[in-house]
Amino acid sequence: MVLKTELCRFSGAKIYPGKGIRFVRGDSQVFLFANSKCKRYFHNRLKPSKLTWTAMYRKQHKKDIAAEAVKKRRRTTKKPYSRSIVGATLEVIQKKRTEKPEVRDAAREAALREIKERIKKTKDEKKAKKAELMSKQQKTQSKGNMPKGAAPKGPKLGGGGGKR
Amino acid sequence: THLNVADNSGARELMCIRVIGASNRRYAHIGDVIVAVIKEAVPNTPLERSEVIRAVIVRTCKELKRDNGMIIRYDDNAAVVIDQEGNPKGTRIFGAIARELRQLNFTKIVSLAPE
Repeated sequence: MVLKTELCRFSGAKIYPGKGIRFVRGDSQVFLFANSKCKRYFHNRLKPSKLTWTAMYRKQHKKDIAAEAVKKRRRTTKKPYSRSIVGATLEVIQKKRTEKPEVRDAAREAALREIKERIKKTKDEKKAKKAELMSKQQKTQSKGNMPKGAAPKGPKLGGGGGKR
Repeated sequence: THLNVADNSGARELMCIRVIGASNRRYAHIGDVIVAVIKEAVPNTPLERSEVIRAVIVRTCKELKRDNGMIIRYDDNAAVVIDQEGNPKGTRIFGAIARELRQLNFTKIVSLAPE
């Protein structure tokens, strides 16, 4: 087909080029009618959803739609596709897939342990730094600052204990 | 006929007096220039009531037929006030305008139109 077929606003029928009437309403809304029957009904203010032969009626009363819906659902089930991605080659993916759960758990635990040790290390370093700072402040300022120095350490320790 | 005015030139309603183009012309269609008198005008504008002006018809309730068979019908009759050369007097145009006007050298009107 060379030219586009448009749809009738009233009945939902296809309008071939050279047929049909176009109506522009006062608010610049355009309506396309397939024939004078649709046009007449529109002007007489009949509702397409009440006329059995229109597409709107069929949609509302759900005729002929069940078959379409079933078809669409069938296509969407996909199989897990084995393909190599940039980050990991096919062999690595397959190896990971065939790993047993116990192996996976062991690997996970090892990783967690590493992370915990890392956190502990950074915490110790921070504590050490703070202790140095506190000792320096002690030398220069009065004793009143000591309790202030102790307080921020407290909540930090609690946070470290809670994480574990 | 009484026509609405589709621009902001100041007139609100026009009454058609004469169709320009032929001595015995009966009806004017979209794109025809008519002589009209202003029946109703917006206050404080350069155009006054009972002033005779020219206008070009842009919308008709009678269908407009196109070469490809398309028929277009509007909901009202409307015109745009123009001067002797064909330039619109107003600066804005309201409502849809038919494409036929472009072929008749009313390009200014067409360019101002929203649709």
